[in-house]
Amino acid sequence: MKAVVTFKRTAIDLTFRVFAWSAAVVAILVLLVVLLEVLKRGYSAINWDFFFHLPKPPGESGGGIANALLGSAAITVLASLIGVPLGIMSAIYSAEFGRGTKLGSLVHFSTEILSSVPSIVIGLFVYAVFVIPMKSFSTIAGAFALAVITIPLIHRVTEEMLLMVPDSLREAGLALGVTYPVVVKKICLKSAKMGVITGILGALARISGETAPLLFTSLNSSFWNLSLFKPMATANVIVFVYAMSPYDDWRSIAWGASFIITMSILALTILSRVLFKRVKNG
Amino acid sequence: MDKAAALTSTSVQSEVVPASLPGGVEIEVRDLDFYYGSSHALKNISLPVYDRKVTAIIGPSGCGKSTLLRCFNRIFDIYREQRAEGEIIFQGENILGPGVNLPDLRAKIGMIFQKPTPFPLSIYDNIAFGMKLYKKMTRSEIRERVEVSLRRSALWEEVKDKLLEPATSLSGGQQQRLCIARAIAIEPEVLLMDEPASALDPIATAKIEELIGELSEKYTIVIVTHNMQQAARVSDYTAFLWLGQLVEFSRTDDFFTNPKEQKSRDYLTGRFG
Repeated sequence: MKAVVTFKRTAIDLTFRVFAWSAAVVAILVLLVVLLEVLKRGYSAINWDFFFHLPKPPGESGGGIANALLGSAAITVLASLIGVPLGIMSAIYSAEFGRGTKLGSLVHFSTEILSSVPSIVIGLFVYAVFVIPMKSFSTIAGAFALAVITIPLIHRVTEEMLLMVPDSLREAGLALGVTYPVVVKKICLKSAKMGVITGILGALARISGETAPLLFTSLNSSFWNLSLFKPMATANVIVFVYAMSPYDDWRSIAWGASFIITMSILALTILSRVLFKRVKNG
Repeated sequence: MDKAAALTSTSVQSEVVPASLPGGVEIEVRDLDFYYGSSHALKNISLPVYDRKVTAIIGPSGCGKSTLLRCFNRIFDIYREQRAEGEIIFQGENILGPGVNLPDLRAKIGMIFQKPTPFPLSIYDNIAFGMKLYKKMTRSEIRERVEVSLRRSALWEEVKDKLLEPATSLSGGQQQRLCIARAIAIEPEVLLMDEPASALDPIATAKIEELIGELSEKYTIVIVTHNMQQAARVSDYTAFLWLGQLVEFSRTDDFFTNPKEQKSRDYLTGRFG
């Protein structure tokens, strides 16, 4: 049989395959190495004290980051309470009521720009408009900074899900004599629900990893804080501060905090992937 | 007899028959023009729609059948670039005029679409959807109306044991009958059907056609179809559109046995379209 495929083509094909395959392996390896390292070093730092005790001053052994874990959870929850409704509402505007209007595309465009603003700049912004006038770093300032980061994320996913709802469903709702806001609420949002939930989890995963904006806003604290208007410790800032300290037990705690952060992001990401698959398969 | 004369004679007849009786004029289209942006899709259409009769709108693809149907409940309104000019008189009011209460209009003039459009809700909630939002009804009234609507759309026996299952789990034909049940649950006076059987298999189509016959005792029906046999089977009147113009409006029997216009004859014999 006479060969139709030239040697050159076969060679190019092979090179390309090898290249793509090794790139894939490198990507997975990097992830594995990071995960293993965090797991190895972080796991040993985790014990009862780690979860339930306040930080100890350098030199004293033991101590934990209970206040920072609470702070992380509180700031993340507060941030989503502020950011999720805003993101969903703005998406409803640009995908439904303002679709095809100048204001609608302006909203869409603005959120795209907002999503590409570096998070440290958002931190500085909140520092300028919140922290300075209030004369204190605070939980609420941290939450506000993270909320600003979630808005474009929630906006984009909600808008995409709403645009996936076929116009025929909107027409069918309207044709029953139902008003447009009700159609949006009861049909469009209902169809988009699972996708939006997936997006919210994704946004949570994203802000769980943000540290820079918190440095300017909630800062840190060595004590229990239940006030919205006082500095608040977070696991991320603990990593930042402790990892650079000269004390071995602090550095170990930083690894422990990294482990917790990584695991929660991993869990959120996996959960949102699972949900997303379920959405896609109907 | 030319088109204008035919129309005049029907409208004269309509003035004699009171609107409340079957056979009176339920909707009157006068000099209707329709535009998609700058494209002129319907040109000077005038025709009557008779009360509790089935009016079929037929014609080749792109002739404006669906466009005409979508004027009756002003569903085109949600698209900014679409507009209608002229008059459509329904219950003494020009529904194309300003200040028309659209939810009210659409509650009186229901619509069934080409592809079934079940909402992402249970079978029961699909039917209850419109009426829940409309009138104050007790739960038992709603339940009763759901059953009546499903019976009337010949779906009750198939779904009575799974009312709480998602509507999307039904077959295409069942979904379409669900949509009919949903439309009649809010007790409209007119039903608009946009090729309601074109996405269905022959058996489901036969069921829908049978249903149209039964429904026409209670509702005025306007049906768009590209299937001439279907028009001949289900309708009392036929409007034949071609390139956005109304070529002929006649009783269906007359249209298919003795069309008035040369264009209609050509279309019926398959010379175009």
